[in-house]
Amino acid sequence: MTSTTAVLSQTQVTRSPATAVRQTVALAKRSTLELFRQPAIVLPSMIFPLFFAFLGNSSFGRTTSLPGFPKVSSYLQFQLAGTITQGVLFGSVTGAAALATDIENGFFDRLLAAPTSRTGILFGRLAGSVLFGALETAVFIFALLPFGADVSAGIRGIVAMIVSGALISLAVGALMSSVALKTGSSEAVQGTFPLLFILLFFSSAFFPRETMSGVYKTIAGLNPISHLVEGLRALSLEGFTASATARAILVPLAIAIVALFIANRQLRSRLKSH
Amino acid sequence: MTSSPIIAENLVRHFGDVQAVKGINLEIKAGEIFGFLGPNGAGKSTAVRMLTTLLRPTSGTARVAGYDVVKDADMVRRSIGVALQDAAIDPLMTGAELLALQAVLYGIPQSLMKKRSDELLERVGLTAAASRRVSTYSGGMRRRLDLALSLIHQPTVLFLDEPTTGLDPMSRLTLWEEVRRLNKEGTTVMLTTQYLEEADQLADRIAIIDHGKIVREGRPVDLKASVGAPTLIIKTHADQEERAKAVLETFGDLRPGAEGALGVGLRGGAAQVTEVVRKLDESGVHVQHLEINEPSLDDVFAEATGYRLEGSDNAPPAGDNGVEEPDKKKKSRRGRK
Repeated sequence: MTSTTAVLSQTQVTRSPATAVRQTVALAKRSTLELFRQPAIVLPSMIFPLFFAFLGNSSFGRTTSLPGFPKVSSYLQFQLAGTITQGVLFGSVTGAAALATDIENGFFDRLLAAPTSRTGILFGRLAGSVLFGALETAVFIFALLPFGADVSAGIRGIVAMIVSGALISLAVGALMSSVALKTGSSEAVQGTFPLLFILLFFSSAFFPRETMSGVYKTIAGLNPISHLVEGLRALSLEGFTASATARAILVPLAIAIVALFIANRQLRSRLKSH
Repeated sequence: MTSSPIIAENLVRHFGDVQAVKGINLEIKAGEIFGFLGPNGAGKSTAVRMLTTLLRPTSGTARVAGYDVVKDADMVRRSIGVALQDAAIDPLMTGAELLALQAVLYGIPQSLMKKRSDELLERVGLTAAASRRVSTYSGGMRRRLDLALSLIHQPTVLFLDEPTTGLDPMSRLTLWEEVRRLNKEGTTVMLTTQYLEEADQLADRIAIIDHGKIVREGRPVDLKASVGAPTLIIKTHADQEERAKAVLETFGDLRPGAEGALGVGLRGGAAQVTEVVRKLDESGVHVQHLEINEPSLDDVFAEATGYRLEGSDNAPPAGDNGVEEPDKKKKSRRGRK
């Protein structure tokens, strides 16, 4: 047939851990390329959080003097963590919606018809979200830095915040991917967007829990988004301390582990039902 | 590997209470082009999805390329090429990028990837378009790319699910040529189609599937010969149809016609046409249209199923057999990428 026929023996197309890694990397590359080739989908998750940050700064700038408000150089310094979380949440929905679209239009079947590592399909998609989350975090930090969003933890803190942003992406991306795998519907994934928005507003993303009262304070305390935001915020306000770094990294990591477990179960369940 | 690369025994698939495939038996020999012919919703794609490991059979067994489709699914996947009707090609990627991704999925060494991709792009005539995003490709170009993707690992068995549906005649011919060329090179091909001409032109053997069951199987030439007599088709006024049927029945067995048409297999051959017309005229039947056809696969199909595949509204609607899977319903609503 062709000159390569003889060398394409079956031994060369067997599955090995190295092949699974190669597949995951290739799928991650695809999901990243997809994101950057759809600026109309990607840019809003960058622009709107920045818009909210500047709006918040001009509207709530004076609230930093309220009793219970942490000591900050500006509202933007306080708000930076909320902006990062907001952007990363919405970016992760985009990645999971792309997975659901793959299921809807049959690209998922194309992957399943090949000897593709099943876990690699999920992790490849999530890797794209993680990279995007890291990029978004860096963009928000460097975009808000000149306007007073100081990071007390310095360069090491910025790196830790980028890692934290990536982990939040992984956690939220895995949860949203579970929805995608369960429903196979991009509408269902995008339908979670308002829910995330409500969760964000019922968290400490825009105000510290210390200034809240009543039910709102209780909800914010139970809301996992508050804990994700506060981990990042600790780096921004407290400096590069062991406690701040641990909160910024370990909270999203713990949520990511649980979310990955759920997503993997949904993947197995979908594969089993076919 | 056994001598027959595709063997299915009593393959059944249910979706809830609906039996999409009701016990299919198949044996496709090495080097054959086998056509699976049937209307939308007949169970063709469901059968192919089971044979390509994408769906688990509810019962029954199948071996493809010598491996059990359930127990050795991974080995089946490594041995076969699949171009599915509903498997989209990512429009945001270029042809070359998709081939590179496919090569990685099949574990093809880095050192061979570029060469293999270039060969396939040349083979399907897409070298010049390799660096363009798929969203700029025509339908024919996408199908050719799909074919190239399915060949990346040089499979010995190739599944093509409705490879030319929606293509213009020129693109269809180009794809047929490529399928023939692959077959000459030794690839066993199983294709599903709803086009009689495609089955007739390409397939060494065909199986007609209707409501999840194989109702006829054999070489197209033998199947057509089995119908025997040529078919006389007439059209008349609706209020004269009963009288016309009574006349036609005296010349042979009535055969299903397209909407508003009556058909009869002329026992005495085409020479009887003049006499039929005279008898119809004597019975007061006004003939609006008349044609005589040598036995075709459509006649075979009509005889086997009771309705015609082409130009008929009698065929069951898509999904009638319940074979549309939950995710596919969304696809049909949203359209393909």
